[in-house]
Amino acid sequence: MNLARMFATQTKMHFLWYFRRDGEMMFWTLAMPVFFLVLFSFAFSNGVTAKSSSFLVPGIIGAQVLSSGFWGVGVMLATFREKHLLRRVYITPMPAWIFFASLVTYRVGLLAAQAIILIAVGALLFHVQITGNPLSIVAILILGTATFVSLGTIIGALARTTESANNIASILTVPLAFLSDAYVPIDRFPHAVSAALRLLPSTEFIETFRGVAVGGEPIAAFAVWLTVLGLWTVAGTVISARTFRWV
Amino acid sequence: MSVAIAVDGLVKRYGAVEAVAGLSFSVEAGTIFGLLGRNGAGKTTTLECCIGIGKPTSGSIRVLGLDPTQPRDLSGLRRRIGVQLQATSLPEKANVREVLELYAAYYSIPPRVKEMAERVGLADKLDRQMAQLSGGEQQRLALALALQHDPDVLFLDEPTAGMDAFGRRILWTEVERLRAGGKTIVLTTHYIEEAERLSDRICMVQRGKIVAEATPADLVAEYGGAATVSIAADGFVPGAALEALGTWTRTGAEWKLATTTEPGLALAAIVTHANELGTTITALDMHRPTLEDAFIAITGETIQEAAL
Repeated sequence: MNLARMFATQTKMHFLWYFRRDGEMMFWTLAMPVFFLVLFSFAFSNGVTAKSSSFLVPGIIGAQVLSSGFWGVGVMLATFREKHLLRRVYITPMPAWIFFASLVTYRVGLLAAQAIILIAVGALLFHVQITGNPLSIVAILILGTATFVSLGTIIGALARTTESANNIASILTVPLAFLSDAYVPIDRFPHAVSAALRLLPSTEFIETFRGVAVGGEPIAAFAVWLTVLGLWTVAGTVISARTFRWV
Repeated sequence: MSVAIAVDGLVKRYGAVEAVAGLSFSVEAGTIFGLLGRNGAGKTTTLECCIGIGKPTSGSIRVLGLDPTQPRDLSGLRRRIGVQLQATSLPEKANVREVLELYAAYYSIPPRVKEMAERVGLADKLDRQMAQLSGGEQQRLALALALQHDPDVLFLDEPTAGMDAFGRRILWTEVERLRAGGKTIVLTTHYIEEAERLSDRICMVQRGKIVAEATPADLVAEYGGAATVSIAADGFVPGAALEALGTWTRTGAEWKLATTTEPGLALAAIVTHANELGTTITALDMHRPTLEDAFIAITGETIQEAAL
């Protein structure tokens, strides 16, 4: 079996069918995050400052990682199942992991594009400087993506319909984005609350990413949180693999 | 002849509903096996169990000697079977060429885009997206996806449902070509004509059970009942020679003969007799038993649910 060709063709088709030919999807993926950045930069500070934008650029990228896992993978899988696409694919010789890997690769490609655009707009308009080690930044983004894809897949596995997957994803994504230090600094909450919120994998991911990307901190400073994210990923993967249904 | 598919005591329950209630049959290699029954009779569930989509509640299945409930067997089986599912939905923004290319990649074979598109009558629609294809065209593409990798065994689930006459002709031509190529085919349908035309053997399924299984001709001969010839002619009475052909009944001016002899010969004799009597024939009709008669006799119901 030519697995490389299988993977490459499937990834290309995901990109073509669900992104390149879907104007709405392109708009939501590429324009909305920039719109958020500009809007929140003005809304949450007295005049735009590099400081508030430096907070927002990694925050919005982090929120995109969350929604990529929950919507882009989780809801997508539920949709595929409901439309009987999964069962059609299941009876071909393509190994399940190739299908899954191509879906994740396609989402990672979109995330990379989003991150580059947000960083560029942040640098040009708001003088946001990405000072962290690029390798560390990429490593954190990959781990975070793995975490939220594995958790998102649980949604895709357990939701019976697209509609319920959508509901679960909305219930998770929107509040999490606001409670995980993505758009609003959680240090504004009472200490006990912010400490509790730092138990969320989303908060740990976003603060790690921000700390390394713009905060000048070394990746080693976040060893504990990175380990915790790794554990979430393992748990998410195990639960997904156990509960996933093709039909 | 070797056995390509063997199903033994298959039971499939969904909660309290028993969709398949102990079904056994075997399909010889190189033959076409038709599962005929009403919607909801358990045909699709049976087929899904054969291709590994459904897990049997109990019973055993072997396809080409492999057990589709075992992951290891199933992965070997997948590349040797081709499946046209009922109402396959493909991504709406995918076009015909891309779908064929992707499925060629799934099976690690060179794409046969032009050839397959021509075979299913989509050669001029290669760049059409799914949303721009009719239901029948999508079904034809689904057939092409089942055939492209040249499988040994084909499972076609209601393959012509929603197809127009053109699509049905294409499918029938393909099935006959596959038969000539020695492939084994399992086909579910609720179209009597389709089952009769395509199948070497037909298995009638009712409420999850097999109620009859034989060649179409044997089913008709055994269960189709008598052939009838009816004639309406003023002053007609069957003579002794005609009485011997079978049972006569009379309704008003119409005489009806139910016979187990060749109805064409009986018809000729009746016409000759009417001419000898010098009567004028006002109506004449002959009916041979059909598979539909056999189906009704066996199941006690018509295959199409009564129209509302």
